[in-house]
Amino acid sequence: MSQSKEMSEVSSIKDAGLREVGEAASTALLKELHAKYLGKSGLLSLQMRKLGEIRDPDAKREFGRTLNESKAELETALAERMEGVKQGERLAQFQAEAIDVTMPGRPAKLGFEHIIAQTSNKIKRVMGGLGFEYLEGPELEELRYNFSALNYPPDHPAMDDQDTFYVTDEKLLRTQCTALQGRVFESRKPPLRVVTIGKTFRNEAIDRTHNHTFHQVDCFMIDEGVSMAHLKGTLGLFARAMFGSEVKVRFRPDFFPFVEPGVDYAISTPRLFNGKWVELGGAGLIHPNILEAYGIDSERYSGFAFGLGVERIPMMAYGVDDLRHFMENDLRFLSKFQAEYAVN
Amino acid sequence: MKFPYSMLLDYVSTSLNAEEAGDLLTMAGFELEDIEEVDGEPVLDVKVMSNRGDGLSMLGLAREILAKDEAAIPTALYEKAAGRFAQAVPGSFHNPVSVEIKTDDCRRFACRLFRNVTNGASPAWVQDRLKKAGQRPISLFVDLTNYVMLELGQPLHAFDFDRIGVDKIVVRQAAPGENLKTLDGQEHELLPNQMMICDDRLPISVAGVMGGEATEVHQGTTTVLLESANFLNTSIRKTRKQMGFNTDASYRFERSVDPDGVVAAIERFTELLGEPGSAIVDSYPGRRERQPLTLRVDRANRMLGFKVPSHQAQQYLERLGMEVAGHGDPFFVIPPSWRPDLAREIDLIEEVGRVHGYERIPEEMPVGLSTQGGTRGALHNLDRLTESAIRSGFIQLVSHSLRDLHPLDAATPRVEPRSPASPDMAYLRNSLWPSLSDAVNRNGGRDLHLFEVGKVFSKAGDCYVEEREMSFVSIGALLPTEKQGETVPQAEFFSLKGELLGILAQAGWTAEAVLPKATDARLHPTRQASLKLSNGSEIGKVGQIHPDIAEAGRLPLGTILAELDLDVLLCQPQEGISLKPVSRNPAVRRDIALLIEKSIPFSRIRETVEQAGGDVLERQWLFDQFEGQGIPEGKHSLGIALQLRKLGSNLTDEEANQVRETVVAALATLGGTTR
Repeated sequence: MSQSKEMSEVSSIKDAGLREVGEAASTALLKELHAKYLGKSGLLSLQMRKLGEIRDPDAKREFGRTLNESKAELETALAERMEGVKQGERLAQFQAEAIDVTMPGRPAKLGFEHIIAQTSNKIKRVMGGLGFEYLEGPELEELRYNFSALNYPPDHPAMDDQDTFYVTDEKLLRTQCTALQGRVFESRKPPLRVVTIGKTFRNEAIDRTHNHTFHQVDCFMIDEGVSMAHLKGTLGLFARAMFGSEVKVRFRPDFFPFVEPGVDYAISTPRLFNGKWVELGGAGLIHPNILEAYGIDSERYSGFAFGLGVERIPMMAYGVDDLRHFMENDLRFLSKFQAEYAVN
Repeated sequence: MKFPYSMLLDYVSTSLNAEEAGDLLTMAGFELEDIEEVDGEPVLDVKVMSNRGDGLSMLGLAREILAKDEAAIPTALYEKAAGRFAQAVPGSFHNPVSVEIKTDDCRRFACRLFRNVTNGASPAWVQDRLKKAGQRPISLFVDLTNYVMLELGQPLHAFDFDRIGVDKIVVRQAAPGENLKTLDGQEHELLPNQMMICDDRLPISVAGVMGGEATEVHQGTTTVLLESANFLNTSIRKTRKQMGFNTDASYRFERSVDPDGVVAAIERFTELLGEPGSAIVDSYPGRRERQPLTLRVDRANRMLGFKVPSHQAQQYLERLGMEVAGHGDPFFVIPPSWRPDLAREIDLIEEVGRVHGYERIPEEMPVGLSTQGGTRGALHNLDRLTESAIRSGFIQLVSHSLRDLHPLDAATPRVEPRSPASPDMAYLRNSLWPSLSDAVNRNGGRDLHLFEVGKVFSKAGDCYVEEREMSFVSIGALLPTEKQGETVPQAEFFSLKGELLGILAQAGWTAEAVLPKATDARLHPTRQASLKLSNGSEIGKVGQIHPDIAEAGRLPLGTILAELDLDVLLCQPQEGISLKPVSRNPAVRRDIALLIEKSIPFSRIRETVEQAGGDVLERQWLFDQFEGQGIPEGKHSLGIALQLRKLGSNLTDEEANQVRETVVAALATLGGTTR
């Protein structure tokens, strides 16, 4: 019967296809086989034309079903075979393309900030979060801002505590960033919260712990009811941001003409120096003589100020033992500080 | 101040050991700098604050211990000193010396004469204590003056009265032309602002600083005139600075000595000498009434941040030797004569806090109106510039403002500090380039891309100018490589120019490089440019180093330098962000191969293309530049790409060609032809 002849042709095409697929060892060949049997003019697809030649509806249905089943069977076989072959091919590819990941990476051209800038930026962020605005003053400062505006009595030995680079009788290289205070008080009214960072200068011999130039941060605020407790709270928060959450702050009386009461403050943390107290800087309530000199009502307003050396922070936190390193610009030293470490 | 602990225990009886006493003093503001065992006894070294001259004595430190240690009790010697040795035996004979004070810088001058006394070695226990205090025993008379100074803080001076020869002492300013040889053998030409102890004619001693050699006591001295005086601190300070030395006496006078303790020191010396002296001659023109201060305990508590009951505050002040009147709030307080630092209420508040203990201050955060924290305005823009430079691969430096001369110094007049400690801090830099150059040489001189933000200084007439600059140096490979023979782009004028314009753009400014109005002599004369903003402001420069300067500064010839004048730049308005709709239609590219005179600056060509290209010209770039074979002398061939795009509809080929033709026609006006 012609019908069975047509059916058996479909079946033998399918069988040939299944055999070829079973033997195919590459994805490329499988793609070819797909085209050969199932493509637009593939062997099985072409069998579809015979459908029109069959008159008997039952035979027609039967032929169509057989053809579709054969196509589906071959399609499935192709897909399964494809899956297996592809895996093998990828495996071979990956083995051939293996690299030694321990070979050097290409060095990147990365810029980074100087450790002083990194520390300064951290200070700015911490104090900025407490509402302290960052401002800067000149390095070549007027005598009056450096001393007399800060309540230094004329010709007082407190001025000897700092060996000064004078340029003229009236101009000097600032010995303390506190010199900014007078400039701010001249131009702004309380409430005030200011942080400044910059170079300070001392005309003295250089060794591991002394340099003629170092950086200083000075913070001050003026508002109603500012007390030593607020100073201690702010300093405590600042010190814990710099040196970790276990830091404790201690005040000890000290004398700076621009604060009264004046203290030096020390910190202690189990992370550093076995918890020994380490002096960080000076602080106190802004002297009412200064407030009054700038027309600020000292009965209504009070303020605090504190300062410290910027280099002290990385020196303590990272154990840098020579202050001179910070301004020698040796990249072997500076590149150690590309990362900023979180202390909390 | 160094002293053996036993000497302090002469004045205060306490169960504290030396270390504990040192801690107490430290927490009272008298920092224990060192403690060491000398011959079986602890010797303390205490740093005294510069406004607390009263602490430079056993008596003063004993007062601090008595104020803070409630268990401590004063010794008999303390009680005697506190009573100014008023019970001392009066002088046994008339004092023939007359004292005349002719200067306001001397507040008080007292003296006692000792006759028929014998100099020699001081008692072993005095010598022992002086040695422990770091002093060299000299002779009985000298040692006792030093010993009493250490006990009571009052400097004394012993003259050989026979060597003075007259019985008149004048305290006055030096007269022009006067000289004095001090007992260290130095000859001084005296200045009129220097205060002298004189006989009826000539200076015999520098007041409050050092005695004269001619009237010094010696082994054969038998008649001693003992001086105990009080001088104005500013006068002593000026004199000793001019003379260039510091003595234990001047150190104390500068920090203020109790004027009421002058006579007591003479009595203590007499007691230790064990010989009766003359009556004391005492002239005290500088006596001042002490004004009462008001203390509001409530205010003290608010300022200190803790609560001290008012009766306790009163006790603290009284233990420090203050007279307190009034009951409750406010107090009226008269500070003692040895505390000139107590001038107003806040000083008393500090005393209350100091004795109560700063360790009791709690930590609290400020409340109330805050201000906007962080950086604003110009300083914010500077932060942004710095970040962009770092993102572009530049390493940030921080170097000294003070330095020595350098071939890369700017031409502006330099500022010099007066007496620098060494020649490498002789000048304030007038450019950041020398600092960058130092860093290049320190770090191997190759493949370095560095920048610094810092101040430069110069003089304009009598004015001192301080300006902020940001400077860059770029040398060698722009991409690091470790592979031999790998070609990587190298720093050149155009690389740094491109990086700078990018950094500026990220901080909000559009800049361009133009021919400089005046060339910078440190740069290659035909490879340098000024950087200009679109509003015309010149904000810096960029260029290749001048070959002569490169040689002098040991820098590679290919060193590229730049500087931004931040004082100008940071004040310039930033470009706002103007958003345009983003086209979703495809772009079309058209290329132009332009043959044109090399003398036509590329910036003119770019502007011409920009204008002729109109709205659809999205971007243009130079993809090729060629001269030489096949190109006429003086001309070059430029490959310019146009990227064209329309909003809302696709650009047709005809439209794109039209734009290209318009651009070519415009370029023809510059003499350009297409190839």
